[in-house]
Amino acid sequence: MPGLSSLRGETERGAAVIDAHNISKVYNSKTIPVYAVNNVHLHLERGEFTALVGPSGSGKTTLLNMIGGLDKPDEGNIIINGVDITKLSANELIDFRLRNIGFVFQSFNLIPVLTAKENVEFIMQLQKMNREERNKRVIKLFKEIGLEDKLNVRPSKLSGGQQQRVAVARALASKPQFILADEPTANLDSASASNLLDIMALLNKEENITFLFSTHDQRVIDRARRVITLVDGRIAKDTAEVNTNILHTSLSETN
Amino acid sequence: MIFIMAWRNIWRNKMRSIVIMLSIAIGLFAGIAVLALYKGMMKSRIRTTIDAEAGHIQVHDVNFKKDYEPKFTIVNGERVLNDIRKLPGVKTAAPRSVTKGMLATTTGSAGVQINGIIPEQEYEASQLKQKIIEGKVFDSAKKNEVMIGKKLANKMKLKTGSKLVLTFTDTSGSIVSGAFRVAAIYQSANAPLDERNVYVTMHDMNALLTTGNTFHEIVLLLKNDEDVPAVKQQLLQRFPAYKIESWKEISPETDLLVKTTDQLSYILMTIIMFALAFGIINTMLMAILERTREIGMMVALGTNKVKIFLLVLLETIFLTLAGTPVGILIGWLATNYYSKHGLDLSGMGKEMMSSFGYSTVIYPEFPADKFLGVMLIVFITAILSCLFPAIKALRLKPVEALQGLP
Repeated sequence: MPGLSSLRGETERGAAVIDAHNISKVYNSKTIPVYAVNNVHLHLERGEFTALVGPSGSGKTTLLNMIGGLDKPDEGNIIINGVDITKLSANELIDFRLRNIGFVFQSFNLIPVLTAKENVEFIMQLQKMNREERNKRVIKLFKEIGLEDKLNVRPSKLSGGQQQRVAVARALASKPQFILADEPTANLDSASASNLLDIMALLNKEENITFLFSTHDQRVIDRARRVITLVDGRIAKDTAEVNTNILHTSLSETN
Repeated sequence: MIFIMAWRNIWRNKMRSIVIMLSIAIGLFAGIAVLALYKGMMKSRIRTTIDAEAGHIQVHDVNFKKDYEPKFTIVNGERVLNDIRKLPGVKTAAPRSVTKGMLATTTGSAGVQINGIIPEQEYEASQLKQKIIEGKVFDSAKKNEVMIGKKLANKMKLKTGSKLVLTFTDTSGSIVSGAFRVAAIYQSANAPLDERNVYVTMHDMNALLTTGNTFHEIVLLLKNDEDVPAVKQQLLQRFPAYKIESWKEISPETDLLVKTTDQLSYILMTIIMFALAFGIINTMLMAILERTREIGMMVALGTNKVKIFLLVLLETIFLTLAGTPVGILIGWLATNYYSKHGLDLSGMGKEMMSSFGYSTVIYPEFPADKFLGVMLIVFITAILSCLFPAIKALRLKPVEALQGLP
């Protein structure tokens, strides 16, 4: 079991950020077992921009929660930057999430009593970042999300799109290994959704930040470079494998 | 940041927070009012005990108080009395001849303590003159006059001018009786004492007791209440052969009452705060349940349990302490007003008040000495009230909480 201080791992470009082996989550296990997630293998590398799609009840959110360390699988292991998070205690998981994972939720979930700036700063304060560094980073992040003029505005005075952009800035505040976004565009109009996706795509491209979305939104699916389809808790399709297969096929044909 | 969040959180539902703050303010005011009233009553009781009953210190022969035998007079009484009067810190000192006896009229009899006094000196030492409600002070030209308390007068159906017989034993153990005429009826704030004590002149009493110019008791009034232990110590060194007692020893029930009332006032305060704690718990629990999703999000993002607990604790403390200055201010203003104008409790029954030895007009006093204690009770209330909501918040599982499930 690693110490809390060693819970923040550094991943090389192209190295595995998430490695999930045989993970399953079973509900009503004492009566009729229902597999929310059934024997899923998932390998995500740094810099990926991946969408997790599937019908309602297919296990997207459950899988995302387990990868995010919010829920534990009943079977299997999840290795993030070399740390098996299924072996961590609840308190260790809290610290692990703080240092490694950024979250963007469907309903923004900003703290209403804090301003936009304070919402983002809050995470940095939890990480014990000093004031100077915090201020620098807040300004940089708000520039990136295009809300430099809304620093001292409370969430209730921001539009849905603006709130979600602040949520992205908050997710980035802790310099996480990857960002998990659960239906981030579900509550946004087209223009806001498009704007948010632009920002996230740019961050992915320029700063090589890894994104894993759970989504129904075709706009997100269209922008994703990899799409994993879940059906009844199993991976029914993974475009990465398709692409690899196509690559293999074309290579063997060339040879 | 947690401080800022806690402070802003209590204003998210203004009406609810203001209601709980007001109830804390009112509860605190009620507590302070009770403490102030008790303090006023105790001060008044102590004042009555010292000024009108026991004095600050009394001197007796060591054997006298065992059976109140008249033969145990203070040896060299006059010299002792004069020496005591010369002591710094002593305001006045008066001698008394004291014995237990029987008061009889044509209709009945009652056991009483008969106090033989030198009127002018006694008027200074026990305010006897001010307590007279009927009749006149002792007339030096008349013999065998007696002053009786109102309660005894009512019980024995005596009026001024009525005749009665006092019977007691003299120094040789023989029973002696004297016929006395009621010169005055007095009333103090302590009805039981009025019923037990009658006053005659020392001259008349000593003639019956055959004690000459001697006496059994010296009662001292000091310039300052705080000097009692020092003066008592001085007297003990100077007159080791006599029994020297402070008012606390002479009237232990008063001292006990003061101490018990002190404890009682804390108990009352705790009960008030205990009742308020349920209001605070309810408010905080509602606040936590309303914010299940938000707290779940905070935990998901990496807020540890200590910080979540601290947030709930600070919110509870702010909520509790915000009402505190208002309660203290109202309490202080009300106490200040009544400490000057007095609070007339005669509506509760003058007889009842005096039967417990209390004056009917109470001058409440702000319990500054109990201020720290009160604040501690408020603070402990806040901490205890936060525990249940905090445990509720700590038990939230992020996955369920993010879906808004409590």
